[in-house]
Amino acid sequence: MSSIIIETSGLTRNYGDICALKPLDLVVPEGEWLTVMGHSGSGKSTFMNLVGGLDRPSAGSLRVGGKDLLAFTEDGLARFRREFVGIIFQQHHLVPYLTAVENVMLAQYFHSVPDEAEARSALERVGLGHRLKNRPGELSGGEQQRVCIARAIINSPKLLLGDEPTGNLDHKSTVMVMELLKELRAEEKFTVIMVTHNQEVAGWGDRTIYLDDGMLVREERKVEA
Amino acid sequence: MNRRRWLIHLVLRALAYRKGRTLLLLAVLAMASSLATALGIVSSSMEKRVAEEVRKYGANLVIFPESARLDIGSGGLNFGVVSEPAYLQQSIVEDALIKSELKAEVSFHLRGALHLKDADIMVEGVNFNDIKRLFPWWQLKGNWPAAGETVIGNDLASRMKLKTGDIVELGGGNKMRLRISGIVASGGEEDGLLFVALPELQQTLDLGGKISLVRLMVTAGGNTLKTSASDLQKLLPAAKVTEVRQTARTSEGLLAKVKLLMFMVTAVVLVSAGSSVAGTMSTTVLERSREIGLMKAMGGTRWEVMLIFCGEATLLGVLGAIAGYVFGSVIAQFITKTVFSASADIIPWFAGISLGVSLFLALLGSVGPMISVFKLDPVRSLRGE
Repeated sequence: MSSIIIETSGLTRNYGDICALKPLDLVVPEGEWLTVMGHSGSGKSTFMNLVGGLDRPSAGSLRVGGKDLLAFTEDGLARFRREFVGIIFQQHHLVPYLTAVENVMLAQYFHSVPDEAEARSALERVGLGHRLKNRPGELSGGEQQRVCIARAIINSPKLLLGDEPTGNLDHKSTVMVMELLKELRAEEKFTVIMVTHNQEVAGWGDRTIYLDDGMLVREERKVEA
Repeated sequence: MNRRRWLIHLVLRALAYRKGRTLLLLAVLAMASSLATALGIVSSSMEKRVAEEVRKYGANLVIFPESARLDIGSGGLNFGVVSEPAYLQQSIVEDALIKSELKAEVSFHLRGALHLKDADIMVEGVNFNDIKRLFPWWQLKGNWPAAGETVIGNDLASRMKLKTGDIVELGGGNKMRLRISGIVASGGEEDGLLFVALPELQQTLDLGGKISLVRLMVTAGGNTLKTSASDLQKLLPAAKVTEVRQTARTSEGLLAKVKLLMFMVTAVVLVSAGSSVAGTMSTTVLERSREIGLMKAMGGTRWEVMLIFCGEATLLGVLGAIAGYVFGSVIAQFITKTVFSASADIIPWFAGISLGVSLFLALLGSVGPMISVFKLDPVRSLRGE
C-alpha cells in the first residue's frame, strides 16, 4: 500500500468575507494523479496553491510529504517548494530574457546549483533538444509549456502541480503535453495534482474531485478498462 | 556553473533585456557621480590655486616686539605715549615657529637708523633670499646684492641722488661701506629704505641675534590664518602676532562659500538622481512582478530574490561610477582650464568617491522597490494583480 503524500483536515481558505475553500478533508496517496475540476471560482486554484505551499490556509490542517505546512515560515515554505514541488502554469510564466535552457537552470539555481548538462537533458526529454537556445518569444505555446514541464521536473519533485497546463493549448498540443506528463510520471514516480476544467484532460488522471463554490461535491475514480 | 557566476549571468541578462531603462539608470548614476567627482576635483584644484594666488600677495602674518609703553602726563594732562625700541631674539622666534609646526615662508627683519651723507635714513637688515620668495612683486633695477652690496629703495635713491654702482658709507654704530647693486620699487614703504644683509646690520647696530620684525607667509587653507596667529601668539607672549592682509582671509572665506555652494548643488543633484533611480527601479519592479512571483513560486526565498535585484543595482552602481569618474575628470579639466587657466590634477582616490556616490544612489534608490520585492505575494503577482 502506497503512503500518503497529502492529507488535509478541515482545510479552509477565506479572503475576507469570501470563503474560497470550505473545510476540506482529503487524502492523496503517493504517486496518484489527482485531477481537480470545477468552474471558475470553485476553489480549485486555491486548493492547488495551498497544497503547493504558495498560500496559507485560514483554518484546518495540511500535511504534505509528512510536513505540516502551517508550521513553516514564509522562507521555510519557499524551501519546501524548491525541494518538494514542481509547478506548471497555464500561462507558462517563463522568464522572457532567458533561453529555454536558462529558464530550466533558473529552477536549479533556487534549488541547488545550475547544471547546464542536466537542464539540456531535461529539455531533450520533453522533445526540445533543438530549441535550447531559443527564448520564450521564439517558441510556440506547446513548446513553451514543454519548457515549463522541463523546469518543473528538473529538481525531481515529489509533487507536480499543474494549474490548467493545457488551458492555452490546442487539442494536438494538449494531447502531446498530457502524454509527456504521463511518461514522465511513469519514470519519475511523482504525484500529480492537475487543476482543469477540461473533461478530456481529467480523463488522464486516476481520480477526479469536483469542487463547487469551494466545496468538495463529487469524487470519481477512473475505472481501468 | 556555480551559483555566483549564474547570479552575475542572470543580472547581466536582465539588464541587457531592458536596454533603454538600463541606459537611463546608468546615465543618471553617471551624471550624479561625475558631478560629485568633477566638483570634488575642481574644489581641490581651487584650494591649491587660491593658495598659490595668496602666495603672490606676500606675507600675511607679522610678528613684532611688544614695545614697553609709557604714558606721559601729569594730573589731568596727557602728553601721549612713548615707546622704546624693542627687539625680539631671533632664536626664540625660530624655536616658536618650529614648535607651532606652522607651514610658512619666513623672513626676519631688523630696522634701524643710520647716517648717510649727513642725514639719518632707515636701514633694514634682511636675508635677500627670503625677500625674493616673499615679495615676488618687488621690481629691481640692477642685481640682488652679493657680499658688501646693498639695494636701495626707489624714493630714497632719488632723494639722496644715488644710483646703481655708487658706494655708500653708513655710519651710526660701526661703519659700513657698501656698493649699490640695485634700486628697488615696491610701491610701498620699502621705497624709502636701504636694505642690507641682516647679520651686517645686527653687527653695525650692536644688536647681534636681535630682530625687530618677522614677516610670515602662511599658506591659506587647512588651519585658518586666525588660528595660526593665535597659536603663535601663545608661543610668543613677549611679541605681538598680527594678520597683515585681509586677502588671505577673504580668499579663505570665498573659498569656503564656493565650496558650500558646490556641496549644495551636488546635494540637490544627488537627491534628484536618487529620486530618479527610485522611480525607475519601482517601475521596473512593477513590470517584473510576475517574474518575481515566479522566482518565489519556484522556491526562491525573499532574500534570494532580493539578491538578484540588489545585484542589478550594484552592477549599475559600479558601471555608473566608472563612467562618472571618467566624465567627472574630463568636466573638471574643462572647468579648471576655463576658469583658472590651469589643468586639474587627476586624483585617483576620487574614483572611490565616484563609486561611493553611484553605489549609494543605486542602492538607496532601490530600497523602496526592494521592500516591494520582499513583500510581493507570489500567488497574486502570478495572477497579475
